[in-house]
Amino acid sequence: MNLKHWLFIFTLAPLALLGQEEDEINYDDFGYADDDGAKTFASPKINGLSPNRFINVAWDVQSRYKAEFSDRTGFAEGEDWDVNESANINYTGGLRLNANIPVVSRNNIVWQMGANYTNTTFSVDEPAGAFEPILTELNSKSLSTGGLFTTVFKPLNEKQFLIFQGQSDYNGNYTFSDFHSFGLTKYSAAVLWGKRPHDRLQWAIGASRTYRAGELNYVPIVLYNWTGKKEKWGTEILFPAKAHGKYWVNKNNLLMFGYELEGASYHLSGLSFNGNSLELRRAEIRPRIEWNKKLVGFFWLNAQLGSRLNYSFNLDELRDGKEFFRGFFGDQEFAAMSRLGTSIYGLIGISFVSL
Amino acid sequence: MKKNKSIVFVLASLFMLTSMVGDTTEEGDKLIGVWEPSNKKVKVKIDKISGKYYGKIVWLREPIDPVTGKPKTDKNNPDESLKDVPLKGFRMLKDFVYAGDGEWNDGTIYDPQNGSTYSCVIKLKDDNTLDIRGYIGVKTFGRTDVWKRLVMKKKKK
Repeated sequence: MNLKHWLFIFTLAPLALLGQEEDEINYDDFGYADDDGAKTFASPKINGLSPNRFINVAWDVQSRYKAEFSDRTGFAEGEDWDVNESANINYTGGLRLNANIPVVSRNNIVWQMGANYTNTTFSVDEPAGAFEPILTELNSKSLSTGGLFTTVFKPLNEKQFLIFQGQSDYNGNYTFSDFHSFGLTKYSAAVLWGKRPHDRLQWAIGASRTYRAGELNYVPIVLYNWTGKKEKWGTEILFPAKAHGKYWVNKNNLLMFGYELEGASYHLSGLSFNGNSLELRRAEIRPRIEWNKKLVGFFWLNAQLGSRLNYSFNLDELRDGKEFFRGFFGDQEFAAMSRLGTSIYGLIGISFVSL
Repeated sequence: MKKNKSIVFVLASLFMLTSMVGDTTEEGDKLIGVWEPSNKKVKVKIDKISGKYYGKIVWLREPIDPVTGKPKTDKNNPDESLKDVPLKGFRMLKDFVYAGDGEWNDGTIYDPQNGSTYSCVIKLKDDNTLDIRGYIGVKTFGRTDVWKRLVMKKKKK
């Protein structure tokens, strides 16, 4: 034997044998080295879900619209009212920031903490009627929402899970140099129980305490996230807050179409009716198309175009400064009423996401 | 006499150094083997190649794509030329280096379900359990999964 033969025996031959042996291994025959395997838990995601936004910076703007305001104060729920004054609102829009940071993210629990800030600036022509002082105030200041929230996803086993979400919001006509009392912080929460039958479906039912409709309410909620077999079409629904169909054009482009109900109750500092402080119950429904596009790495663009339908832009007096619950059946009077004309809106943002 | 002492010192140092390198290698090689993620969908065989650790999919619970009726391929890979590569045999863990203290880092993990590659750190919890954390940029933006070691249970007939 010459040197070449020895080189083959000591180098290439063992590799060849290794490859041959690997081909013959039946991995069905493998079991756990210790007593049992890792417990399988339901994942918080399904295949084809839209990108999960860790950080999002966006700008929202609405087209010009007409607003109508009542002339007096004191209206029962559902009561008709006459338009006293109207005004054009030339500009409505502002910055939106959102951060959602994982604190614990393991297969048996996911706990996230987040913060959000939304600012809406208005430009109103000729404010008038009962709303005049409010609109004058909105012209000079703006409406802001600042909140902290936490979400816990707790899988119970391979199929079932619980979701808890809690949020505190500080809403009003404040500025960073002029904060109000934190006594009027709004608290929201949601609890859901659900199932994840397979990798393309998760659903859940639950209840929430929410200000999405402007004023405090307690509503049942339904989550239904589904992706089709080819992972092109699907739905992402959290009813009644939002519901979307979706279509993955390709792995870098996602189209969504549906609606979102957005709302908050804003404390209007420095303004009052009958010596009572005021809350602006603002809510709007946004039917829309949304385009999500991968820019680079884990940075995605999101752009929305849709219609902004007014749901509520009414005023409530807080007797003794205390929040109250009207719900669907309460008979507490509104302080003043308004109707905002429908407008077109657009939103553009950049997100740092996880898929 | 002095020369002899120097030789002894050099030899002793070399011996200690090689022993230390040997220990580190041995510790690092605890990663080698067949492992199963907590979702039990695949089995991954981790090997050492040129001093780094790599893991490839050697078994799939559902090897056939229900849409095409053919063996599953890496259809979510962002690289068009790799979409037809079979998932079985796909190298999903790459470039891990043993950093000591039961931890391997500098590697990446690929998620075939969405075609994304994440930075990754592996921690040996005990001889048969790994904590594998895939993350984006910083470890905060990540998720940890538990993998268990598998061994051959049945003997070949």
